[in-house]
Amino acid sequence: MKPILKFDNVSKHYPNGVHALKDVSFEVREGEFVSVIGPSGSGKSTLLRAINRLIPISGGTVWLDGQAVSALRGRSLRQLRRRVGMIFQNYNLVYSLSVLQNVLHGRLGYMGGVKGIFGLYSEEDKQGGLDLLEELGLADFAYNRASDLSGGQKQRVGIARAIMQGPKLLLCDEPIASLDPSSAKTIMDLLRYMTRRRNIACIVNLHQLDVALKYSTRIIGLSKGEIVFDGPPEQLDDATIERIYGTSRENLMMGGNRDDQTDTADCA
Amino acid sequence: MNIDLTQACPVLRNRTEENDREKGRIPVKCRQRNRFIPVFLIGVAVLSVLSLLYLEIDWLKMASRVGDIGVVFWDLAHLDFSNMDLILSSLVETISIAVLSLLYSLILGIVFGMLAARNVFRIPVLSVVTQSFFTFLRAVPTPVWVLLMLVCLGMGPEAGVAGLCVHTTAFFTKSFAQSFESIPDETIEALEVTGASRLSIFMNAVLPAALSQIVAWAGMRLETNFSECAILGMVGAGGIGYVISNSLQGYDYGAAGVAILLVFLVAYCIERGFVRIKKKFS
Repeated sequence: MKPILKFDNVSKHYPNGVHALKDVSFEVREGEFVSVIGPSGSGKSTLLRAINRLIPISGGTVWLDGQAVSALRGRSLRQLRRRVGMIFQNYNLVYSLSVLQNVLHGRLGYMGGVKGIFGLYSEEDKQGGLDLLEELGLADFAYNRASDLSGGQKQRVGIARAIMQGPKLLLCDEPIASLDPSSAKTIMDLLRYMTRRRNIACIVNLHQLDVALKYSTRIIGLSKGEIVFDGPPEQLDDATIERIYGTSRENLMMGGNRDDQTDTADCA
Repeated sequence: MNIDLTQACPVLRNRTEENDREKGRIPVKCRQRNRFIPVFLIGVAVLSVLSLLYLEIDWLKMASRVGDIGVVFWDLAHLDFSNMDLILSSLVETISIAVLSLLYSLILGIVFGMLAARNVFRIPVLSVVTQSFFTFLRAVPTPVWVLLMLVCLGMGPEAGVAGLCVHTTAFFTKSFAQSFESIPDETIEALEVTGASRLSIFMNAVLPAALSQIVAWAGMRLETNFSECAILGMVGAGGIGYVISNSLQGYDYGAAGVAILLVFLVAYCIERGFVRIKKKFS
């Protein structure tokens, strides 16, 4: 299996002095399902956004499919970005448009000139979008306004939009943080199913340790911008969890005692 | 003598909280009070007194003419329908001027609003230059633009359309840019990561999302433009304003009354119409 993504001593410091990433190095191969876990402010979001250059890095190199991301500008950056799908905590759809239109936005990167500007999608793309919605169980909603959907349905549209790009890598930034437990399960199941079927590598930022343990083929634990664990879920023992979160496993589960409430409040 | 201003003037007092506590009362106001508001109010009062002194308004003379207001309005109320064909045709002309200037300004406003919005092309210089250019155009009132266009283009409705367009485009540029900027950055980010170009993102996400706001602005502006047309006619740009000013100057209050009533009716209909359209859009 080829590596899709490679972080080579990547670091990022913000102008306010925060070191979000410190010499981070790892590789992601085709078909892997990687969860990135860590407390708030550990650099999870920065790590994800460094991959498609939503955040420029300060040192090191991010290699995506053999190309150095930080060297790219303008058109070549856009061509690289369309090979990376992204899913967001707040779905970030255009709510006044139809579900199908939102899904087809995934094709805009491939359409140049007038077609891209006026959104004149090919019949092939439209059929592809409808098939994808069918696969995600949203066929009946294709012509509804995106604002009419529930949270879980909106996130499924987000997945469809990202898959529409035909990506090699899928980045998910807290995909289930705004969802109820049952929708969250549906979304995680769909993410695993869709990426496995298409052999797409997937990197998911997660707050929920149990979800990470259940779904991932590999877990990366971040603490204060450094990788403190990188391996399969079975190897993640209690001592490592404590190193990642700075608190014991019991306190991470709901209903835990001690300063659990204040921890949750800090995360929110 | 050293006067403590906070003691002399209660509105400037900043330490009401301690004051309240000393007296055994529970304070309720914010700790950080906006001290600009009393300064502003005092400033307005001073400027008003100065203006009154400068204009030397003769209140007695004004009071003695109040009765005439009733007489003129009584005359206006005696509607005279004998000139209906002229009044109606100039009303249609006014509506056409308002609609045409709105249409041109809508197109121009979307283009320039796109350039002026900070989140579309992310080129700060472009936004600042566009914004300040149109701020300058907006600072000059519409009748002045129409007068300028009358000099350039000659008498007639063309000058009315052109003059209204300048100010309306300037207005739309600012309001549309604000509407575009109110689209969440995350939504734009979500399309950025698909590799779509900036223009494509604007046309496929930002513009559709801002459409209901654009319709609302357009409705509001059509109403204003229509009423402004009535003034513009008086400076020679055609339309119903010309009829109104002509009739008033010729003491033909009945005809002027009909024209004014029609202006009011049309403006009201436009307003109600757009309220309905906006409801359907949002």
